[in-house]
Amino acid sequence: MNGDLPGTQGGVVFKEVTKTYPDGTNAVDRLDLEIRSGGLVSLIGPSGCGKTTTLKMINRLEDPTSGRITVEGEDILRCDPVELRRRIGYVVQEIALFPHMTVSENIAVVPSLLGWPAKKIRSRVDELLAMAGLPPEKYRFRLPDQLSGGQKQRIGVLRALASDPKVILMDEPFGALDPISREVLQNELVSLQKNLKKTIVFVTHDMGEAIRISDRIVILRKGRVEQEGSAEDIQYSPKNDFVRSFIGEDRLSRMSPDDPAESIVEEPWGTAAPWEGAAGVLERMEENDREFIQVVDPKSGQWLGMALLGRLRRAASAGETVMKGIYRERKLYAGNATLRDAAEMLADRDISIPVVGEDERFVGVITSGALARLAVERLRSGREEGKQS
Amino acid sequence: MMEQRPLWDLFITYVGRNYMRILNLTGEHIMISLIAVGITVMVCVPLGIYLTRNEKAAPYVIGLANVFQTIPSLALLGFLIFVFGIGNDNAVCALFLYAMLPVIQNTYTGIRSVPRSYVQAARGMGMTDFQILLKVQLPLARPVLVAGIRVAMVWTIGTATLASAIGGGGLGRLIFSGLSSIRNEIILAGAIPATLLALFADWILKRAQDYFNPSARAVRLAARHGAADDTD
Ligand SMILES: Nc1ncnc2c1ncn2[C@@H]1O[C@H](COP(=O)(O)OP(=O)(O)O)[C@@H](O)[C@H]1O
Ligand SMILES: [Mg+2]
Repeated sequence: MNGDLPGTQGGVVFKEVTKTYPDGTNAVDRLDLEIRSGGLVSLIGPSGCGKTTTLKMINRLEDPTSGRITVEGEDILRCDPVELRRRIGYVVQEIALFPHMTVSENIAVVPSLLGWPAKKIRSRVDELLAMAGLPPEKYRFRLPDQLSGGQKQRIGVLRALASDPKVILMDEPFGALDPISREVLQNELVSLQKNLKKTIVFVTHDMGEAIRISDRIVILRKGRVEQEGSAEDIQYSPKNDFVRSFIGEDRLSRMSPDDPAESIVEEPWGTAAPWEGAAGVLERMEENDREFIQVVDPKSGQWLGMALLGRLRRAASAGETVMKGIYRERKLYAGNATLRDAAEMLADRDISIPVVGEDERFVGVITSGALARLAVERLRSGREEGKQS
Repeated sequence: MMEQRPLWDLFITYVGRNYMRILNLTGEHIMISLIAVGITVMVCVPLGIYLTRNEKAAPYVIGLANVFQTIPSLALLGFLIFVFGIGNDNAVCALFLYAMLPVIQNTYTGIRSVPRSYVQAARGMGMTDFQILLKVQLPLARPVLVAGIRVAMVWTIGTATLASAIGGGGLGRLIFSGLSSIRNEIILAGAIPATLLALFADWILKRAQDYFNPSARAVRLAARHGAADDTD
């Protein structure tokens, strides 16, 4: 009746679960794990630590060697595996949209297996497509080959949602996407989760992704839970060196000065359009306590310059546009510039450096803060390596 | 009788006088071939599927089919006289043995070449093994599978001309009687329809293949449901 007894309530619960493959590999080792109903939990850990195996035991693609798993309070070893899988959404990294089926047929796989009437299936498919911002009349009869990578994975997620399952399993679903689509889909997943209140078990090996999307993170190591908690818990109180190195390892501490400058590019705090009056822009900057702003043509995305507080004040008193206060000398070209170049430029003068691409298209800025974080990370990981050896 | 009439003239005269017989033999040829290919498909597609689930048996079965394939077709017909005696049964059986290999082999390799990720995804969504076969593996293996059937079909139509050597019917009758009476126009009256038949069967199967191609199908679906046909 209440949530006192673990395993009698919703969500997914592992109790002393061990999985040994026939070849003797011990993939999961006496795992205890409680994934609460309605949460988005990331399973994260180095390759081979048992993330996929853990996930596959939830929909019985693999059965545990020993231990007990309950889904929504039900012992899954007592369920028919086929029926169980139809009640649980499943998304894999390879996406695996069936290439011979149209988008709507792909989304409709589970509803058809469940024997929904054709009309209900059709309206459900349209509803899902619309929810994902893909106009049904345009995408219904597309084949997977006619979609971009991001669209494919969106359909992969819709396919898992189609029969409205309570629990959804995702195995590195965004791993194969470019960074921009990945971030878009991560955001979509988070808002979807907020609206639909699904229990999502999300496998990833990217700490940044886990931190961005999940309300709980479970770090696995050799088939056991190493640490479990919210993103903050893990970031600010890592339990041991393994967790600490895992947080840092992915990104910052691995970088070298010869890596491309874009790897630490950020979005600027704001931009100004070339036709804006200097006075208005100045006000915005003062409100935000900033000393410079990037001027970018909002239509073409072209970088036109960087406006500095001092020059802008003069332009404002003359009643000019922001263009009178710009400065174009310092910038880095995406593709050519390295972190070393960025560091040298920033050491020279403490203002953000704009990064531009072809045709002066604006990419973003590199701030001294980003560079400092990188340096701190490198110092720390260097110290740890020294400690371990 | 010794006047030098050109071959085409003789041919036209022969066809004009015997078209009913040619049509009947063509019909018989089609029947023998279709029955043989039908049996081949009904036996060998399930056999190929079975082999994907019993990998250990695959080399033996495919090896055996390969042996039949290697025996010269006329010799095979000769051997089978001991089993079936003379006539169309013998011919159909020989054609079946002869056409087994491409169908078994292509079914087997076609299904095995379906990426595992699709099968895993299908199973993870709750398809039974049979549904996975029907909805995922066979449709994805279809181009390879149909290619095997096409080969079997063309071989069978060609080899069926030999059926009359052991007392069976079909266009081979004309070819053999032309050969024994040294009348080229009769040989042609059998050879030309047999060739056209093989080409036609190949073309039909190719058309069927194109028709079931996923993108052609998607276009039809879109047209039927009056969807905006913008593929930008
Ligand atoms: N079907 C299998 N048979 C044998 N060993 C396996 C099988 N699947 C995974 N493993 C092994 O189990 C361990 C955990 O694998 P997995 O769960 O896939 O890890 P992860 O998803 O975290 O990379 C690895 O050592 C892997 O090699
Ligand atoms: Mg994995």
